[in-house]
Amino acid sequence: MSGVKLQKIVKAYGAVQVVHGIDLDVQENEFVVLVGPSGCGKSTTLRMIAGLEEISAGALHIDGRLMNRVAPKDRDVAMVFQNYALYPHLNVAENIAFGLKIRKVSKPEIEKSVEEVGHILGLTEYLDRRPADLSGGQRQRVAMGRAIVRRPKVFLFDEPLSNLDAKLRTQMRAEIKRLHNRLGVTSIYVTHDQVEAMTLADRIVVMSDGNIEQVGTPMDLFLNPKSVFVASFLGAPPMNMIKATVAEGDTGPVAVFEGQKIKLAPLEALRNQIGKSVTVGIRPEFAEIAGEGTADRIHIGMDLIETLGSEALLHATLGGEPFVIRTETLGKHNALGGVSGFTIRPDLIRVFDGETGEALVGQEVEA
Amino acid sequence: MSDAALYSRGDRIFVWINVFLIGAFAISTLYPFIYIAALSFSSGFEARAGNVLLTPVEFTIAAYERVLSQPLFWSSYANTFIYTIGGTLMSLAFIIPGAYALSRPRLFGRRFWNLMVAFTMWFHAGMIPFFLNMRDLGLLDSYFGIIIGFAVNGFNVILLRNFFEGVPSSFEEAARMDGANELQILWKVYVPLAKPAIATVALFCIVSRWNGFFWAMVLLQDEKKIPLQVYLRKVIVVLSDDDEFASSLLTASYSFETVSAAIIVCSIIPVLLIYPFLQKYFNKGILLGGVKE
Amino acid sequence: MSAPKDDLKRPRELKTFVVPGDERSRLERITDHLKRDWQLYLLLAPTIIWLLLFLYKPMYGLQIAFKDYSVFRGIADSPWIGWDHFETLFGSEQFLRALRNTIYISLLSLLFGFPAPIILALMFNEIYQQWFKKTAQTIVYLPHFISSVIIAGIVITAFSPSAGIVNTVIGWLGFDPVYFLTKPEWFRPIFVGTTIWQEAGFQSIVYLAAIAGVSPTLYESAVVDGASRWQMMWKITLPSIMTTIIIMLIIRIGNMLEVSFEMIILLYQPATYETADVINTYIYRQGIQGGQYDFAAAAGLFNAVVAFVLVMTANTLSKRYSRTSLW
Repeated sequence: MSGVKLQKIVKAYGAVQVVHGIDLDVQENEFVVLVGPSGCGKSTTLRMIAGLEEISAGALHIDGRLMNRVAPKDRDVAMVFQNYALYPHLNVAENIAFGLKIRKVSKPEIEKSVEEVGHILGLTEYLDRRPADLSGGQRQRVAMGRAIVRRPKVFLFDEPLSNLDAKLRTQMRAEIKRLHNRLGVTSIYVTHDQVEAMTLADRIVVMSDGNIEQVGTPMDLFLNPKSVFVASFLGAPPMNMIKATVAEGDTGPVAVFEGQKIKLAPLEALRNQIGKSVTVGIRPEFAEIAGEGTADRIHIGMDLIETLGSEALLHATLGGEPFVIRTETLGKHNALGGVSGFTIRPDLIRVFDGETGEALVGQEVEA
Repeated sequence: MSDAALYSRGDRIFVWINVFLIGAFAISTLYPFIYIAALSFSSGFEARAGNVLLTPVEFTIAAYERVLSQPLFWSSYANTFIYTIGGTLMSLAFIIPGAYALSRPRLFGRRFWNLMVAFTMWFHAGMIPFFLNMRDLGLLDSYFGIIIGFAVNGFNVILLRNFFEGVPSSFEEAARMDGANELQILWKVYVPLAKPAIATVALFCIVSRWNGFFWAMVLLQDEKKIPLQVYLRKVIVVLSDDDEFASSLLTASYSFETVSAAIIVCSIIPVLLIYPFLQKYFNKGILLGGVKE
Repeated sequence: MSAPKDDLKRPRELKTFVVPGDERSRLERITDHLKRDWQLYLLLAPTIIWLLLFLYKPMYGLQIAFKDYSVFRGIADSPWIGWDHFETLFGSEQFLRALRNTIYISLLSLLFGFPAPIILALMFNEIYQQWFKKTAQTIVYLPHFISSVIIAGIVITAFSPSAGIVNTVIGWLGFDPVYFLTKPEWFRPIFVGTTIWQEAGFQSIVYLAAIAGVSPTLYESAVVDGASRWQMMWKITLPSIMTTIIIMLIIRIGNMLEVSFEMIILLYQPATYETADVINTYIYRQGIQGGQYDFAAAAGLFNAVVAFVLVMTANTLSKRYSRTSLW
């Protein structure tokens, strides 16, 4: 099985440690996305897997083989770089064939592989063009062609879409997903864009400050973020965070702040928190607009409306902090200006420890 | 900026003054070359009499016949080609790998090696120790000595090193993952990428080799080995002091002046031929190395 | 697949995770490094060996400046004599003359040669007739690429008393021909003029590049404000390239002692030594032609040390001024 296994992987430059001992098990054929803000160590981790950076401590296995001191070329991995690193003096076919030529693959075999890859990526007509004569999306495809032509055990992607404009990025994202479905090769993908992470990944690894913050499927991370950091990193617009104190309500625990109450799920984990300060997280998508007099309605002050078409973002204030609601516009757009409150299903609220920012255990929901 | 419609009357006068002054300077630069060319095609008698100004007087190619009939002219011309081509190739053979290695951050002791190159730009042992060293190495009066003795030049190394440093490291990394070794990375990736910089360095080498005369004059005793510039100096500079010689050269068809002019024209022609390429690259070269320096 | 429990239990105290930094020993690390990068050192080696053989070995040879050097004994075995050569040097009227001339000629070149390319660049910048500008630039860059021997040949021919154009013109004006190149008082103007003629055009490229970097919006807003081209040159262009000018000035001062002695060797003659002989030409005559290697090496060492101090000072100044080292 061509999985990738990281055990207590550390990267240190002299006395400065940038990756603090990461454990990760990537299964065969899995598409794993490392995501996090810049400087979180995700690219360094990827480069250690590629062999472009030395591993300071820990063990790296690819396909069951210890790789720590194996040269990059012998790891049987291929990488797509952020700037593509296409050789400007070679045409598309030669760029794709470069690695095979270096490995002294026979000419007819090279031609066959290049043709095949050209076909898969829809580059057949461009094979004799130079990179300078290609569009951004085509260059991106050539960069992928160069990686897949070698049929490596593992694909590594280092922010491959960040040089493209928004429209192309969406298009290429889907193409990468399709390619993965078709070839089924183990892939590790680094990005700082949470949308890419959500759409591409079988599993997402959220990193921060050289540590793994949380690992899980996109939906799992979306619904059950383990910390304020993960909650506010995934999802756009990010989760609304409200500082509150837990109190005993009529039917269960409630979060109290600035004279308002939010009803929480009647869970043991939350009852234990009564009297303690917490951070209440509400996804903009889960807040339901509610008119005056609705039960458990939370009052907000409207600030402005951003219309996106089928949806709108309502920017409001709650307890002096900004609060965003994402809502459908169909049939009610004209009424949005008068919105003054919302309701929320208690089980969709995430409650985090007010001090550590960790999610309280025992409130997970199924996707 | 170049939208002339925006210029006021005063601006236009100012511009035309500039055009006039620059034009005058350009003409003063160009004129000596035209004068020399005219001289080389004039008769010796008219040249001596100072009657040549802009165009050949009593057109003749006698001076060229005289120049081209000298075996020493031909051998020195050939030698210059040997020194220029051999020297430039030798320089590139040293500088390209050296600059590449110096540009790699993983090179152990990189700061030290770079300092070692840069130091040669700040401090020279000087003419005498260099000469004695060439003598001790047995490189006096030798083709090889001229070719190898001036192969590396700190400025060119640093210029190329800076260029290599500017190439995104992902090119090297991509090639490395494709299985290329150091030599393949250099030869198949970095050399093609650095073509403009290498061309600049090569052109600098060619020009300095073609024009160099001092060390060839000092290191070469054997007349058969001297390059064109040393031969030129012999004819133009040394012999011009010798009025008797100059007079002896005077015939109806050519004179010392026309012969000198003819040699000058012959030796400038190759420079003029590569000048368009030079122009293309020296702007870049100056920006690559010059300003950064 | 869900991640192993282990992954989820990744708490923040990992920051204190005890890391040996590197599991390998120092020796292992070095051998690993060499195993991986030996080809890199192979690429570097020729350049380093060349430098040692052709530039650093002569520095070792510089010790003859303090020795009574004899060809037969060789550099190492010649006896030490201390500062004798330097004492002779500074007692020699000829050397002091060369020193004076070096300074004079350097200062003259600086005074006239330094502003010339700046003025040229400023003037080029004002010309909007593109074909004229291109043609003129092509012409004025050319002499830089012509050998000093040819330039000297042109100067000699042009100033020749019998056929030279200069004397022809003087003849038209009704004066007697002048043997310019044998007159000490004419040497310096001719030399400085020649070098400016040869180099000013080429040196202007640096300033033109700097001018090209000035934001066009500055000029546009000046046009809106009603400034004339003359005012823009003084108020916008010149201040914008001031950094470049100062850096070039510092470099120039650093290299001041490097008067182009090749040109001097070509143009001077015994009659003009009085004003033309500089340290390097003096070294050439004493050492290479006269065979007084040790003595000439002492003069060369003096020159090199002064030049080194100038260059280092210039580099420090430049660092302070532009926060970028010259190298």
